[in-house]
Amino acid sequence: MGQLLWGIFGVDMNVWLDAFLRLQIVVIVMTVTVMALIYLERKFVGRIQMRLGPMRTGPFGTLQSIADALKLLTKEDVRPRTADFWLFELAPYVTFVPVFMTLLALPFMDGWFVRDLQLGLFYIVAISGVTVIGYIMAGWASDNKYALLGAVRSAAQLISYEIPLILGVLAVSMVAGSLNLNDITIQQDTVPNVILQPLPFVILLTAILAELSRRPFDIPIGESELVGGPWVEYSGIRWSIIFALTEYAGLWGFSILGALVFLGGWEFPFGTRSWWGDFAFLYQLLLVFSKSFLIILTVMWISATFPRLRIDQLMAFCWKILLPFGFLQVLINGIVLTYDPSETVRDIILFATSSALLVVMAYVIYLATRQPSREERVGAILAARSVQ
Amino acid sequence: MIGVLRSLGATMSTMLRKPVTIEYPTTHRKVPERDRAFPILLWDFDVAEPFCTGCHACERACPVECMTVTMKDNPKHAEGASKRRKILDEFFIDYARCMRCNICVEVCNFDAIAMNNTWTGHELSVVDRRDLVMDREQLLALSKGKQIRPWVPS
Repeated sequence: MGQLLWGIFGVDMNVWLDAFLRLQIVVIVMTVTVMALIYLERKFVGRIQMRLGPMRTGPFGTLQSIADALKLLTKEDVRPRTADFWLFELAPYVTFVPVFMTLLALPFMDGWFVRDLQLGLFYIVAISGVTVIGYIMAGWASDNKYALLGAVRSAAQLISYEIPLILGVLAVSMVAGSLNLNDITIQQDTVPNVILQPLPFVILLTAILAELSRRPFDIPIGESELVGGPWVEYSGIRWSIIFALTEYAGLWGFSILGALVFLGGWEFPFGTRSWWGDFAFLYQLLLVFSKSFLIILTVMWISATFPRLRIDQLMAFCWKILLPFGFLQVLINGIVLTYDPSETVRDIILFATSSALLVVMAYVIYLATRQPSREERVGAILAARSVQ
Repeated sequence: MIGVLRSLGATMSTMLRKPVTIEYPTTHRKVPERDRAFPILLWDFDVAEPFCTGCHACERACPVECMTVTMKDNPKHAEGASKRRKILDEFFIDYARCMRCNICVEVCNFDAIAMNNTWTGHELSVVDRRDLVMDREQLLALSKGKQIRPWVPS
C-alpha cells in the first residue's frame, strides 16, 4: 500500500495529473476534517458547558455535520436588492480560496506536498493575508452598515495580527535556517521548536485565534451586536462556505502549520520513518494529525473559556505586547545565530532567552491588566483627601 | 495573567464533570413524589369498584368547573358485597380546563380522587382538544394498573 501510494505520486508522472490528484486528496481530506472539526467543537464546547452536545443525529450525534451541511446547501441563497452583485457573490470565494491555498504548501507527510515550495512558510503567511480582501468585499457589497463595520473591524484585526504571526514563524525559520516546511520539520528530530522558541509559539497561538476571529478576538464576527460582522447578509451555501469551510479549514491549516513548525511534525519523537517500513506514511500522518489535533483542542479550549476583548484592548495587545516581543525574539535570535555557537550551547541559549522573554511578556501583561485591590483604591482616595 | 490560567483550569474541570443534560424523550427525570399533574380516580381493589360514590363534592368545589359526575345505586351493595350504597355512574374531567389546583382532592370525603404524580400526567399532547375530556375508564386506568405512587394519605 505504501509503495503503491509513493509510486502513484512518483516523479515520472505527468506533472499536471499529479498535481490534480494531490489537490483532490487535499480537498477530500479537508472536507471530511472540517465536518469532523465542527462535530468535535460542538461536543467539546458542550462538555465544557456541562452539556452533551449533539446526540440525536446518528450514534452520539456523529451525523450532525452532514445534517447541517444538507440543511445549509438546500437553504435559499438570499441577496439584498441593493447589494453589489459581483462583489457580493465572489466575496466568499475570495475568503476561502486563500485559506485553501495555504494547504497546498503543507507537508502532511515527509515530502508529501501538493507542491514542494522552497519558500513554503513565506508563501503561507503571504497568501493567508489575502483573506482580508474577501472580508472587505463582503462588507462593502452587502450595503449594510453592520456588515461594513464588521468588515472594517476584521480588516484592522487581521492585518494587525498578521504581523505577530509572521514574526513568530520568522523567528523559527531563523533557527531552522530555512523557509521550506519540510526542512524545518526534519531539523526537529531531537528538540522540537516549541522548546527552543516558546515565545513565538505563544505568539503564533494568539495570532491563530485572532486570524480565525475566534472567541477572545471575535470582534469582527460579534454575534451579539454585529450579528456576524461582514457576513450579515449571507445565507445558505455562501454562508456555509464562509463559516464552515473557511473557519475550520483555516483552523486545520494553521494547526497543521503549528504542528509542523513548532511541535516537530512527523519527525520529533522517534525521528525516521524506518520503523514502520512501508507504512511509515501512516505513522507520519497519525503523528502530524494528532499534534495538530492538540493545537485545535487548545484553540477550542481557549475560545470556550474567555469573553471577548474590547477593540482597543485587542489592538493594544497586538501592537504593544505581541509585536515588540516578537521583534525582540527575532533580534535575540539574530544575535545568537550570528555568533554561531555549537548546537547544544545554541539550543540552551535560545531556550533560555525565549522562555525568559515569555516570562517577561507574561509579567508585562499582568502589570497592564492588573486591577488595584479595594484597599489600594480606598487608600488612594484617602490620600487624595488628606492632600486637600 | 493568573486569572487567565485559573479560568482555563475552571473550564477544564467543568469539562471533566458529568454532563447534567438528561435526554428527555428517551430518558425521564424522576418525577417528585408530590408532583401535581391532573386528577385521576382511585380504584378500590378490595371490592373491585371505585372509591368514588359520586357525591358531587369535587364537582361543586371545582373553581373552573371542569368535572361532571353522575351517581347511581350500587348493585354490589344490594348483593351485600360493598358498603357503598351509591356509586359513580359517569365521571368526566376536562383536562384542557383543569388548572391542577388540588381542591377536588382536598374536599373528597372518601379519598377517591388523587393527583397523578407520574410522567403520564405531563405528556398529554393531543391533536384535538376534545380528546382531553377524560371519561371514567380513562380516569381509573392508572390506579387500576397500580401505576401511580401514593402520596395522598389513604
